Amino acid sequence: MATLHMLSHSPFADSRLASCLRLLGAADAILLSGDAVYALQPGTANLQALQLMPASVALYALDEDLTARGMQAPERAQVVDYPGFVELCTRYAKVNSWL
Amino acid sequence: MKFAIALFAAPHLPASRRALRFAQATLAGGHEIVRLFFYQDGVHSAASNVVSPQDELDLPMEWREFVSTNGLDAVVCIAAALRRGVLNTEEAQRYARPAANLGAPWELSGLGQLHEAAQQADRLICFGGQ
Repeated sequence: MATLHMLSHSPFADSRLASCLRLLGAADAILLSGDAVYALQPGTANLQALQLMPASVALYALDEDLTARGMQAPERAQVVDYPGFVELCTRYAKVNSWL
Repeated sequence: MKFAIALFAAPHLPASRRALRFAQATLAGGHEIVRLFFYQDGVHSAASNVVSPQDELDLPMEWREFVSTNGLDAVVCIAAALRRGVLNTEEAQRYARPAANLGAPWELSGLGQLHEAAQQADRLICFGGQ
């Protein structure tokens, strides 16, 4: 029962991402949206933490939110648009929003 | 696949736009939305008196058009709405308030509707945050 974890808060402002990383399952995935895409900022501990995740954990980021912040996704992350976002929700048994 | 979508964020926050774009992509992808549920500050998206700046996306209007055009079941949490001053005609009369600011296509109802939607849908997707 793999879960897609959806984050939308900046990891520099609270501990949602850190908590999420602690309880990730091996087949789970993370989708970064909104200010959570700042976790992909180069040279930060947050990006390092994401890059240390096992390869079995997929990492996605919402295209629109990267563009809005003038950011590029690193190789570790796959960029998705809204149709891709919907498709991800069908692929994982549960979708957990870190509200 | 059947989706239930819950929105927790106010219309001026990015999560509201994200929820709308996701909902639009859901239908465009051939999926079904069993219910939209507007909770907490999300109830403001259903209020008819919201005026968006001219150079900004008018999310309450877009939501209204999206719900009407697609004939969707769009429920606004009644407890969250009343405490934020979002009332339909019936509630405005019940509590002797001077005006109503919620009408069709929205329906005021309880949290049980979110629970029921979660049971009926294959996926419940919640939107909040920044």
